Amino acid sequence: MKVLVTGGASGLGAALVAACRARGDEVCAIDLDPAERSWAHDLGNTDPAAWAALADWLATQGPFDLVILSAGISATGRFETIPLAQHQNVTAVNLAGPIRLVHLLESGHLLRAGGRLICIASLSCFTGYPGAASYAASKDGLAGFARSLRRPMRKRGITVQLACPGPMDTPHATRYAPDGASTKGRLAPDRAAQAILNARSFTIIPGAGPKLAAVLGRLAPQTLTRLMGRVLFSKLK
Amino acid sequence: MWFITGASSGLGLEMVRLLAARGVPVCASGRRGPGDLPDDFPNIPYHACDLADPMAVTKLADWAMGQGPLRAVVLNAGAGFFRPLAQETPDAIARVLAINLDANIALAHRLCPVLSGGRLGLIGSVAHKGAAGMPVYAASKSALDGFGRALAEEWRGTVKLRVLHPGPVATGMATRAGRTPDFADRVFLPPRQTAAALLAALNAESGADRQTVSFLRVGLHRVLKGAA
Repeated sequence: MKVLVTGGASGLGAALVAACRARGDEVCAIDLDPAERSWAHDLGNTDPAAWAALADWLATQGPFDLVILSAGISATGRFETIPLAQHQNVTAVNLAGPIRLVHLLESGHLLRAGGRLICIASLSCFTGYPGAASYAASKDGLAGFARSLRRPMRKRGITVQLACPGPMDTPHATRYAPDGASTKGRLAPDRAAQAILNARSFTIIPGAGPKLAAVLGRLAPQTLTRLMGRVLFSKLK
Repeated sequence: MWFITGASSGLGLEMVRLLAARGVPVCASGRRGPGDLPDDFPNIPYHACDLADPMAVTKLADWAMGQGPLRAVVLNAGAGFFRPLAQETPDAIARVLAINLDANIALAHRLCPVLSGGRLGLIGSVAHKGAAGMPVYAASKSALDGFGRALAEEWRGTVKLRVLHPGPVATGMATRAGRTPDFADRVFLPPRQTAAALLAALNAESGADRQTVSFLRVGLHRVLKGAA
């Protein structure tokens, strides 16, 4: 099986790459840092030449049976104190880049019929995320994109799935969590990777705690977002 | 002073007309030049602006702040295409996301200091839940929803922020976006009543951060308040 993972160099992406390699898949990765069988590319870059080079590389590696969009960055703090350029970079890397990549895969017929496309969004799609407004925007956007693609892609035999992991024990989480936040209760990335790869449902929420949060978020979205504001945003100030 | 983007057509135009008719001071921006506005466009300060251009967006925010103390801002402008992903182009994808999401983030960012004590309305779309026929537009509106829910909590007590999801509305946007008109267009919501319901939702003292302004809501508003 041929697999493509974005953000494959660290965190959940690296765990997904390792899990796929362990079961014998041929794995290609896209990340900022080049590594073995991977292509160095910044998804936030809009330079046509960089995308053309990526397209050429994908054409030599594909078509793929499984594509996982895992690359993501964040910017945490009060919305107005974060420089605008940082917000724009978050939406570029987390939303515009992945949409453009799927468009590229689609127009190049690089997703095989019978294959799978997994979008890694965030539990923030259910809870809201005050203190990371542009990140929340990008992840909700990716979720809306996955929901929109689900039906048209199924007609062509491609399964689209949306994973919404909660906090994980990854460099990403450590970088963007409030200073001194406890790492207890954060899901190990290799366990999240297993849960995502084994899941058959459209929405994937690894871990029992995050599953509960998602249910509460569906029932009372605003109450949960206010709670997020109390426990998270107030510590970011 | 109210400030409304995307006022040269559709819901924005109706909102501006309603506010001007009520004697509320309002300024507006739109994609069209001042010469291409409808003949009955109200006599209000107007600034033509392509929201896909970040420099122009900064200029627009500064222009709006110069029009007087802003009491309410409605970020209503939106663009999109009704077509499957394979028929999109990289430029069109970038443009839709720039107008529907990044421009609104930039305007909220720049206008933040003058919004204190005021209201901010983000106009989304019922497509935010996902729409098979327009994946990029739907993604941009979902993103606006996530942005609004996060920022509403951050700004609670300072700025009253609401994300309002209207639709489907018979503004002609769907047809312009490439959708073939069919029987469904006849049951689409009337723009003027939808605009009135949106303004009422934004003006209300209490209400959820995210609200859907669709058939039930517009119909109720029409019955309770009379045709606007």
